Amino acid sequence: MSRLARQKNNTLNAVGLLFGILFGAVLAGARLHEYDTIHNMLSFEEYDVFLFMASAIAVSAPLLWLLERKGFTTPLGGQFSLSRSKPEAHHIKGGAIFGIGWAIAGTCPAPALVMVSSGAMLGLVAIPGIFLGLHLRERQVMSALTAGDGEHRILEKV
Amino acid sequence: MFDVLPDRVPWFLAGPALGLLIVGLFVLANQPLGASGAYVQTTGFLRKRDGVVMWRVFYFVGMFIGGLLVTQVLRTSGGDIRSGYDALRADFPLALVIPMVFAGATLLGYGAAVAGGCTSGHGMCGTAQRSPASVAVTATFMTTAIITTFALGLVVKAVA
Repeated sequence: MSRLARQKNNTLNAVGLLFGILFGAVLAGARLHEYDTIHNMLSFEEYDVFLFMASAIAVSAPLLWLLERKGFTTPLGGQFSLSRSKPEAHHIKGGAIFGIGWAIAGTCPAPALVMVSSGAMLGLVAIPGIFLGLHLRERQVMSALTAGDGEHRILEKV
Repeated sequence: MFDVLPDRVPWFLAGPALGLLIVGLFVLANQPLGASGAYVQTTGFLRKRDGVVMWRVFYFVGMFIGGLLVTQVLRTSGGDIRSGYDALRADFPLALVIPMVFAGATLLGYGAAVAGGCTSGHGMCGTAQRSPASVAVTATFMTTAIITTFALGLVVKAVA
């Protein structure tokens, strides 16, 4: 690996760490790591999480649209590009199973990590469960999963 | 330690902040702010596989640290160290809550792998990119989650 590539890799790792910290902090700030928060949303006792998600999309979607029209090269990930795909059967199937698990466990992958850092030890039950679920899918498709971030692209090697 | 954050940051601050984070990661690295991908890469890292996207592993650790900062440093009042499952534990004994949480988490891990993303990857970043597939995933998991919640509520009522 060249010196420049190594530098870029280190920067990307630092950006990853920083965005992870900020993401975790926002989730913890809004108490999304608590079962009660998720449960109260899904049972329509409280609308905060719906509004949280809607306002995040209301802020990001127009900005992403503008940036897409503008077109530019990102410092760490090449040409700025959004991805869109057509719904397929696996989206519906996976989404349906995910929703059932979300309601039962009252958490999803990112908040589960915050759950543990908040001192809620049941997070230590949830995280291995998530890893097991991913593993079961790997066994089923008989190959290592490579993606998992929605509309996703694997970052080309820098 | 510092206790500067309110018990709960209101949605109209936290939501737009998350929106800006989503845009920020796209602008810097052209990548979605997803979470299950970080689990996938962390699995690869722990199993010493080739081709691991290393920054996602840093990001995985970062989410934990961010939660730690808020719940243990910036907001120490209001009983932050909770079991986190007060509502569930009010209805079920702990011996049942543990397998429920584990089974639920396994389902959501499996479902996220099949759908190719979770609440953040499809729900937030995918819909923000105006992807029809992500909108379909989001609508589906919202629907089944709401149905499951009400079904569980009926079970609790029947047992009680």
